[in-house]
Amino acid sequence: MKTLVSRRKFLKVAGFGAGAAALAACGGAAAPAATAAPAKPAATTAPAVVNTAVNMRIAWWGSQDRHDRTIKVIELYQKKNPNVKIAYEFASFNDHLTKMTTQAAGNSLPDIMQQDYAWISEWAGRGLIVPLEEYAASGALDLKDCADDFTKGGKVNGKLVALNLGSNSQTFLVDIDLFKKAGLDMPKDNWTWDDFEQIANTIKGKAGLYGAGSSLWNEQIWKSLYLSLGGWAYSDDGTALGYTDDKPFVDHLNRLLRLSKAGAIPSLADDMANYYDKSLELQAMATGKSASDSMWSNQIVGSWKAYGDAKNLKMLPLPRPAGGKSSNYIKPSQFFSITKDSKVKVEAAKFISFFTNDLEANDILFAERGVPIAAKVRDALKPKLGKSQTEMFNYVARVSNDVQPIRPPDPTGANDVVKNIYVPQVISPVLYEKMKAEDAVALLRKEATAILAKNKK
Amino acid sequence: MATVAIPSASKAARKARALRNNLSGYVFIGPWLLAFLLFTAAPMVTSLYFAFTNYDVFTAPQWAGLSNFETMFTKDGRYWKAVQATITFVFTAIPLRLIVALGLAMLLKAGRRGDGIYRAAYYAPSIVGGSVAIAVMWRQVFGTQGIINAISALFGIPAITFLGDPNWAIWTLVALAVWQFGSPMLIFLAGLKNIPTEFYEAASIDGAGPIRKFVTITLPLLSPVILFNLIMQIISGFMVFTQAFIVTGGAPLDTTLFYALYIYRRAFENFQMGYASALAWVLMLVIGIFAAVVFKTSSGWVFYENKDGN
Repeated sequence: MKTLVSRRKFLKVAGFGAGAAALAACGGAAAPAATAAPAKPAATTAPAVVNTAVNMRIAWWGSQDRHDRTIKVIELYQKKNPNVKIAYEFASFNDHLTKMTTQAAGNSLPDIMQQDYAWISEWAGRGLIVPLEEYAASGALDLKDCADDFTKGGKVNGKLVALNLGSNSQTFLVDIDLFKKAGLDMPKDNWTWDDFEQIANTIKGKAGLYGAGSSLWNEQIWKSLYLSLGGWAYSDDGTALGYTDDKPFVDHLNRLLRLSKAGAIPSLADDMANYYDKSLELQAMATGKSASDSMWSNQIVGSWKAYGDAKNLKMLPLPRPAGGKSSNYIKPSQFFSITKDSKVKVEAAKFISFFTNDLEANDILFAERGVPIAAKVRDALKPKLGKSQTEMFNYVARVSNDVQPIRPPDPTGANDVVKNIYVPQVISPVLYEKMKAEDAVALLRKEATAILAKNKK
Repeated sequence: MATVAIPSASKAARKARALRNNLSGYVFIGPWLLAFLLFTAAPMVTSLYFAFTNYDVFTAPQWAGLSNFETMFTKDGRYWKAVQATITFVFTAIPLRLIVALGLAMLLKAGRRGDGIYRAAYYAPSIVGGSVAIAVMWRQVFGTQGIINAISALFGIPAITFLGDPNWAIWTLVALAVWQFGSPMLIFLAGLKNIPTEFYEAASIDGAGPIRKFVTITLPLLSPVILFNLIMQIISGFMVFTQAFIVTGGAPLDTTLFYALYIYRRAFENFQMGYASALAWVLMLVIGIFAAVVFKTSSGWVFYENKDGN
């Protein structure tokens, strides 16, 4: 009798079972972090190491190479500090920002998060990331070996809120052999966009290749163009555009249109379909279609590998508009910040310090995030560097003799300007020849001014 | 007294029994109901509120009245691009998909040998169709060095940058959508099998050809199924997202900036949750209007066999 189960009873049990399974399924999707944190070992070992067990979370964006290197450093740190357990999350650039924003809304930010220069003023302004001075003063964060020039990019309103992980500048990576083959001399560091246009046309004519790769229309170039002329895309207070004369940008767009019609750079259709936002291995220079490519200096490490180690490559600064000064500035490639939600801020500071200063850790990281900011790390790395890292170190040192001071981080609304106005309503219609450059640049001024004016207090 | 009490007691007992009988039903739908309230109903109500605010996720929403809707209809240059792309897609991909689905269902209805294999083969694209993997494959197929261009090169046709050309990009997505005809096809097939063969036999005896049979027997008797498919496909058509997100990203020139993709971008790339909520509610109203119009007109073209019976 007892072993028999009535149909109704069976249904009830099955119902609860199914319900529980469904709930478990719902819960499972939301809580991968919970399963990643080793709850059980912590509970059993806790009595042994009273009060010293530290659990931290860290989040970054990047390529697979960066994920591998960073995870190895985390493991090294855990080995040296057995009481510390670090859970980590990584994603692509855009997904990282989405994730962090969502976590900020839910007061569940990781202890340490990777930050971009463009966001720090907004994040610091909202109190989501905390000043680091007190940890530097207490010695938890050792900055004695880091020159002010390297760290000041992480300051907002005079407070250090983010620590630079490596220094960067924009660059044109050029193929020396292809330039020779086209009968071209290597351009000087102060080359202009007019020089570039001539060179690109020559390369097209002599070698049948593009003179440059993807994205000469992107907002970085827009910013640098006006930086060279003494302005910037945005005004220092972020309430307006940072330039008054639209003509240089109109000229630049018309130049790009001329070049793409001549086949000397990829057309926007070609760029969108084949290069823009694609991996390094697919870029025009990697597939042998172009003699140069523009990028951030730390990307040379991955790029050179993708283009082939046998290539003879050289890094040049960005071209400047005729009569302009340098178009380059030294930018922190990315930062680590400690967030307001961290309960172990001192421990977080110690980890950042390790990441910045430890020689063994930096042997693993190997300047993948840009030129390291600690002098003794740079010195220790130099003899071990491969050709690409050596070129990057030399380039950043060379270009820093003639750069513009870095401008303030992007104001609130800059994202809106770039994603909703600049690319879809200005660049695209001009380069697809649906709109005249003059009209598009005027539209940019009108729409961007309206968005940025909201920052006026 | 007693004569009154007895029936009422038995009524209560019946009620209790009915409740007990229904209990297992409630237990079964309980988890779904809970999840529906938590993850669908509550967010919808919240988003209706957000639609009238400025909300950037970081700071508390600020009441903005109708300004989001005003921006949408009068100031946002991309909004009408998104509407245009979506309408173009819905009005081409959905009819084409239904026609292909019906055509193949007609072929498979006959019941030849190996039917099952074909049915499975034709259904397969729909199972994997919404997936990221297929969208990535589509990128390759229509890439500059993709198979389409490779084949057309054999005939001396110059390569087309399908995904970068504003005149072409959306049609690659329409083609992808049409290819995913499997689920309406299966529904059509089930509907076709329900049409009694006697009708066709009688029509044959009267000398009706295949076209005549299709128009006067198949279409009217299949019309309820067509209505169902049409409504479901219109709804899913307006909400198309994955394909555009992966294959074209909304480019070129916003010609594939489908409405749902635009909502995503505003919400999760610009963090304008208020504006995105407003966009979403307008989309819901538009889908509702389209579905209502189809329903209203359906009395004119949908034929229900059992309307007067039962």
